[in-house]
This record gives sequence, structure tokens and C-alpha cells, in this order.
Amino acid sequence: METTVKKLVTAVSASVALMGAGHAAAEIKIGVAGPITGQVAQYGDMQFSGARMAIEQINAAGGVNGEMLEAVEVDDACDPKQAVTVANRLVNEGVRFVVGHLCSSSTQPASDIYEDEGILMVTPASTSPDITERGYELVFRTIGLDSVQGPVAGNYIASLNPERVAIVHDKQQYGEGIATAVRDTLKDAGVEVALFEGITAGDMDFSSLVTKLKQADVDYVYYGGYDPELGLILRQSRQAELDAVFMGPEGVGNKNINTIAGDAAEGLLVTLPPAFDKKAENQELVKAFQDKGEDPSGPFVLTSYTAVQLIAEGIEQAESTDPFDVAASLRSNSFNTPIGTVEYDEKGDMKSFEFVVYEWHSDGSKTPVN
Amino acid sequence: MQDLLYFFQQLINGLTIGSTYALIAIGYTMVYGIIGMINFAHGEIYMIGAYTALIAITGLAALGIAWLPVILIVALVCAMIVSSSMGWAVERVAYRPVRGRHRLIPLISAIGMSIFLQNYVHLAQGSRNIGFPALIEGGFRFGSADSFQTSISYMQITIFITTLVCMTLLSLFISRSRIGRACRAVSQDLGMANLLGIDTNRIISATFIIGAALAAVAGLLLGMYYGSIDPLFGFIAGLKAFTAAVLGGIGSIPGAMLGGLILGVAESMTSGYLSGEYKDVVSFGLLILILLFKPTGLLGKPEVEKI
Repeated sequence: METTVKKLVTAVSASVALMGAGHAAAEIKIGVAGPITGQVAQYGDMQFSGARMAIEQINAAGGVNGEMLEAVEVDDACDPKQAVTVANRLVNEGVRFVVGHLCSSSTQPASDIYEDEGILMVTPASTSPDITERGYELVFRTIGLDSVQGPVAGNYIASLNPERVAIVHDKQQYGEGIATAVRDTLKDAGVEVALFEGITAGDMDFSSLVTKLKQADVDYVYYGGYDPELGLILRQSRQAELDAVFMGPEGVGNKNINTIAGDAAEGLLVTLPPAFDKKAENQELVKAFQDKGEDPSGPFVLTSYTAVQLIAEGIEQAESTDPFDVAASLRSNSFNTPIGTVEYDEKGDMKSFEFVVYEWHSDGSKTPVN
Repeated sequence: MQDLLYFFQQLINGLTIGSTYALIAIGYTMVYGIIGMINFAHGEIYMIGAYTALIAITGLAALGIAWLPVILIVALVCAMIVSSSMGWAVERVAYRPVRGRHRLIPLISAIGMSIFLQNYVHLAQGSRNIGFPALIEGGFRFGSADSFQTSISYMQITIFITTLVCMTLLSLFISRSRIGRACRAVSQDLGMANLLGIDTNRIISATFIIGAALAAVAGLLLGMYYGSIDPLFGFIAGLKAFTAAVLGGIGSIPGAMLGGLILGVAESMTSGYLSGEYKDVVSFGLLILILLFKPTGLLGKPEVEKI
């Protein structure tokens, strides 16, 4: 009996090894790492949907230099510890190009591993400036920085001539980083920041904070963080009849905020990447998403699509699948993508990326305000 | 005057959140009082109560029933039944087989149960926030309209009154009823109570059922108050409620009430007068201080070594 099992195991592992070898010869593995579960899984959906579409279309058009792309999807749940685990798993799978991660706090530790292992990473969503500040050669992004998004929000609030502004953040890398950028911009513009305070992500009760905002008599509140907390703050502010306009970064701009806040989400201001899905030259791509029953309007769908496209075109132009050659080709060329023309600076940031202010509505739709 | 109104507003905020901590803390404190173990899965029972209530409310809405008292009573009854069965089942499956072993074993079993239930709801209901309809809206306001107004919503009043009623009923139940008397006997000496003909297994089951039913009440109330639930929201609430139970003296029911209210008010005053960032620092600092000077908690009895 035991020998039969042993034989079976040997046979199976041998055939698995053979299959693996067969795949490696004809395919380029693209790791896609983001939250499939957890609090911000709805952003992960956008990322995976964009990346899948790009891989599908590139393969349908004959692949990259004749080789097919194969997605290896992993779930980091927006948790830095899990991000490290899945990054190591991608290393073991022999992946050499990664689209991800989503949350800055996950991207940061994962990128250390990728850089060490010689894996090229393009994050379609992480906006923290720190990620590209460490002189890494293989780290890129297809999204703007908090240091760009913060000033856009700060200048917009300043242009409305507010009397007093409060800034609240969730004490995490993304939220606090962007909140600090907004505060500095407002101070430079001579606007009084009455309150700068952190909350604990995952908390449910913000009644004390709302009471404090009411007492401080602020007319604008900027929130740096994600939608679960802002949704509750909006709802509790509405109940306490706090009369202030709220504003947040792209981390709050999704329909989940309507689920939590209901009518209180009406009039929320959000800085988002421009609506790439509304651009005339992207209509064919938009239709491809719609035919699959997917929504291309989320802020990270087309940035993910672009991340895959850049990796593919980088490989084609470098005529090599060595991540270092591809990185050099990304830095030296200019690419025509659904999010516009992409050119990289030395750090791996895009040379230009703009954010637009939108007004959010209680039905989950949005309209640009400037 | 304005400062006073502000103070009262923060006090009301603190008492509301404190009452709900107290309701959840009962489950920890009763179980500890009787079998001396910490039921870490209790926060998940509370979360399941909230999900059940939401499912019941959605179901009633689909049937076209819109009369508020009916919705509330049906949701409450469903939540209490499901949570109590869960509480009972958890004890039967995960705690009874390891009862009487080393103290660490039931504790680890409880943590395992907590992780299991959390992930089960993740899979069954999805990991995202789900909106919870605000069924009770409106409230009272004090102070002139052009400056700071103190407001108490009907929801906050409902939470406060429900907690008081539940606590009073529970105290009466423990001090007057047959099962209550048996509970006290078991908590004093499990072995002796057994010898005297009390079915201790039944009493322990009853404790889990009562604690879970109260957690379900808290689940429904907090779901309506905050307007959104997710599979993780039991964990943090459970941690806070456990702190409240220890603060008040674990094993003591009035202690759970007192501990909950102190913790809630301490949190809201810290956010109100210092900064929200220090909320947990102050409340847990308070816990450490109280435990240093009164290791049994505010209303806990010093434990007599059983021979």
C-alpha cells in the first residue's frame, strides 16, 4: 500500500514538474497582487478587472514577442504582513513582473522583496511618495502621488475662502501622508486649520469627534483615509446636524461610501484621477469592459490595465524579459496608454499625472466641479 | 454655557457607547464568574446577532411589512434566537470537551472559535461593509440654534434605556429565579453544586445562552446606531467590552455596567478634550492603573483560594 502511494506521489510530482517546465517556456508570468478580501476589496476588484482585461487583449493580439502572458493572482487583503507573504509566494512561483500592490502600506514592504529578488513592480494605486523615494530601480507606478493629490485638494479648499478647516486622518501611511500634504498647502495659502487629528481605523464611534468638529464651527473637513471610516463620520455628522462640507482623497471615492453614509454622502468632494473611461480614444476599451459586464469607471481599472500594457511594451522594446532591461526601457521611452502619455522619471514616478475634484452624489454618481 | 453644553454632549456620547460595552461585557463576565474562562468568541456572537437582525429586517422589508414595532421585535427575537443557539453550540463544541483541563486550553479553543466564526461570516456574507437601515431617527436638542447645541437622538435614548432594562431584568433573574440561584451556587463552587444535585452542565449552557442573547440585543442596537456592519466589527467591540468587564471587576454584573460606562465616558472625554489619537492610550492606561491598585477590578470580590 505504502509503495503504491509513494509511486503515485512520485508520478504526480514528476508530471507537475513537467507541466511547470512546459508553461515556463512559452509564457511570461505577471503577478497581480491586491486585496481580494478585507475592508478595501472593492478597490482590488477594479485592479484585477483592469489587469485581466489587458492580459486577455494582449494574448488575443498574439502576446508579447510571441510569448503569452499568464496572470498569477494573489490576495494581500491590504495587510502589510500578508503582502510580504504573498510577495514571497510570487518569488517562489518564478514571477518576474508584478502589477500591485494597492494599499501603500502593503506596497512598501512588498517592494523591498521585489527589488531584492530582481522583480519589476508597477503599482496602479499606491500614492504614497515614500514608495519611490528609496532609489529602487524596479519600482514604478501608474498613478499620481499624495504630494500631488494633497495640494490639489488643499488649493481647491483654499479657493472657496473657508473660515476654518479641520483635517482628520486615520493615522496610516496613506491617510496621514495625504492629510499632512493638505494641511501644508492650506497653511501656505493662509487658511486656518482649526483641528488636525487622527482617528483609529476600524473604529465605529466617531460621535466625540463630530461633537468636537461642531464645537470648532468648521466649514470644511478634509479626511485622509478610506471609505469605511469616512462613511460612518458622514452619517454621524448628519445625525448631529454638523453643517460642514467634507472632502477626501480617491480612497473614499467608491460606492461603498453610499452604502454606509446613505444620503449623507451627497455633496462630498473627492479628488480622483480624471475619468479615463470618458475619454473619446478609450471608448472601444470601455465597450470591451461593458461587454464582459464589468464597470471600467473605477479609479484603478484603467491604471491597472496600463500597468500591464507598460510591462508588455517594455518587454517588447527591450527585446528581453530581464526586469532590469525592461526598467531601463520604461525610463527611456514614452508610452501611449489609456491614461494618456506615460513617461517616467528616475524614481519611477510618472512625469505628469493630474487629479480632478469631483462632487459625489447619494446615488453613487459623481460630477466634476472644475 | 456653551462649554457646559459641549461637556454634556460628550457625556451623552460616552454613556451611549458605554452602555453598549456593558451589554456585551455581561457575556464575558458571566462566563468568567461561573467557569473562570474568557470566552473570546463572544464578540463574534455579537457580530452574528447584528447580521441576523439585518437579515430579518431585509426579509420583512421584502414581505412589505413596514410597521416599526413589528420590525424591531421580529429582528430582535430572530437575533436573540440565532445568537443564543450559537452561544450554546460554541460552548458544547469547543469548551465543554476541554473543561477542567489546564486554563490555557479553553482559552486557545476560544480564540480558535473566534477566528473560525469571523472567517465563516467573511465567506458567507462577504467581507465588505453592509448598510444597516436607521429605523429610529430624530431626537431632542438643547441650547440656542445659533451656537452649539446639545443633541440626544431617540436612538441614543433607546440604547440607554434598553441597556438599563436588560441589566435590571438580569439582576432580578440572577437574584430571584431558580436558575439564577443555581448560577450563583455554581459560580461559588462548581464541584459542590454538582454534588448537591444541580445540573451544572445545564447551568453553564444557560449562562452562555443568556450572555449571547444580550450580545444580540447589543448587535441590533449598534447596527442601527452606526448604520453599517462588517465581519470584523465584533472583534474590536469584544476587546473593548472585555476591558470594561475587567475594569469593573470580572465576574460581577454591576461591575460590567460600571466598567462599560467608565470606559465609554473616558474615551469620549479624551477625544473631546485631548485628541482622538489618545483615546485608547487613556482608556487602557486607566485599566492598568485600576488593576495595579485593585487587581480584582472596581466591584470584583477578592478571590478566595478554593481548597
